[in-house]
Amino acid sequence: MNNNVIKFFDKIQNIDRRYIYIVVALSIIIPLLIPFNSPTYVTKPTEDIYKKIDSFAGDETKAILMSFTHDASTMPELFPMEVSVLRHCFERNIKVFTICWLPAAAPLVDYALNTAREDFDVQSGVDYCNFGYKPYVLRLPIMLGMGDDIAKAVETDSQGRKVENLEIMKNIKNYDDMNLVVDFAASGSALQWITYARARFGANIAAGVTAVMVADNYPYLQTGQLMGMFRGLKGAAEYEKLVDVFAANDRPFSKEIIKETSIAITGDTVPYKYKKARIGMNAQSVAHIMMIVFILLGNIGYFITRKKEL
Amino acid sequence: MKRQIPLIIIMTLGFMFVAHSFIPHKVSVDFFDWFQDWSKAISPFAVSLGIMSLFMVHGTKIKRKVPNWQYSVITLAGLIFTALAGFIWGTQSGTPYMWLFENVQMPMSATMFALLAFYIASAAYKAFRARSAEATVLLIAAVIVMLGQVPLGAMISKWIPEASTWILNVPNLAAKRAIMIGVGLGITATSLKILLGIERTYLGGGD
Repeated sequence: MNNNVIKFFDKIQNIDRRYIYIVVALSIIIPLLIPFNSPTYVTKPTEDIYKKIDSFAGDETKAILMSFTHDASTMPELFPMEVSVLRHCFERNIKVFTICWLPAAAPLVDYALNTAREDFDVQSGVDYCNFGYKPYVLRLPIMLGMGDDIAKAVETDSQGRKVENLEIMKNIKNYDDMNLVVDFAASGSALQWITYARARFGANIAAGVTAVMVADNYPYLQTGQLMGMFRGLKGAAEYEKLVDVFAANDRPFSKEIIKETSIAITGDTVPYKYKKARIGMNAQSVAHIMMIVFILLGNIGYFITRKKEL
Repeated sequence: MKRQIPLIIIMTLGFMFVAHSFIPHKVSVDFFDWFQDWSKAISPFAVSLGIMSLFMVHGTKIKRKVPNWQYSVITLAGLIFTALAGFIWGTQSGTPYMWLFENVQMPMSATMFALLAFYIASAAYKAFRARSAEATVLLIAAVIVMLGQVPLGAMISKWIPEASTWILNVPNLAAKRAIMIGVGLGITATSLKILLGIERTYLGGGD
């Protein structure tokens, strides 16, 4: 084999990690700055959440709960999911509650609500309600308490108002009515909802998790204990597309339509806040390709060096 | 008595919670309501304890001028300023508290988490070598899952996302479930040992 090739792969074997960092940084920054259109394929776990939430459209007796169990560090992956779900609820007139369990998540809930509600004529306490921050130690009692009486379990919302007096609580008593809980987390916190809210009260549970947590949640998805799951940024991108195609156009879900429709993210048709995940997926695509190239080069180098040593 | 009283409390409350989970009788429901009220009363004390502890630890560092004590000043200043911003101007959109969240906490936290991408990239490059049959399987699975996660995978072949889903749904799920069953049995056994007073190491002090 050519000496230069052997030298090149020798070098590649012991490449300074800072070069890898530069390549990773560039492969993330450039696609974020210069977005391009790429297809978004919707998968079943995301589709199931969409269909479930959409089935509550215009129903005064049904609501969903969004549980925020993460802080700002995982926002790039989880925030687009949260904004998309809120947007879906506001578009389709679905009652939505939010709750968070970490002090650092409280401003995050406000930020998500502020981002989504500015395009809609929705009112706190009527169309949506933020239960606010509840200490993590109260998670279990509140989770169980909501199975009997939501207003009694959470008592006040983020603005200090008595939850039982709010208009949104009309026809909403417990998990029979607030029949879907979507837990957004960078941990396995959905398991608690499954153990207590689902096993004891039959609530439907869905999870929005960071990509690294996806594998951990698969057993619950397979058993149906999780009725759906947002799988990292990809899940968020899929939901953004679903809302764009159906909820924003007041159309019922259709597998054929979603397969055939592609939404351009390069123009101004879709506001930036509603396409963040899809732009992020471009960066992720390029970064993954770069990583695969690096791994391949590393392995070719490994075999060449090993052959030389033999 | 120092050991017996905590043991009695744990055993009594432990069995009462077990009973509450399986017997939806009025007595157990009332007990649970009572417990909820107490939990709510206890949690603010935990917050106060945390703040006191933070002040004591960092106060001592500042007082003794230990190496990097300046960071302790920033920690305490951050705590005081953020708390005051929230108390004085509230936490709604447009307030200094939200400004701090959007412009300080959010980018800093995201930056810290984003560093993971660089470490994973570097580690993957060094670790994913087909040195053995097992390492080759890991390498192939990793490449398929990575491609299946992005649109490019489906553009190359519709089988890539399907293979990625199969890897997550079958071998990954089997391994995860095995681990979870093991952990679950371990938790049950340890919980029973604690409830029955066999496991006492959590009380401290040695035996």
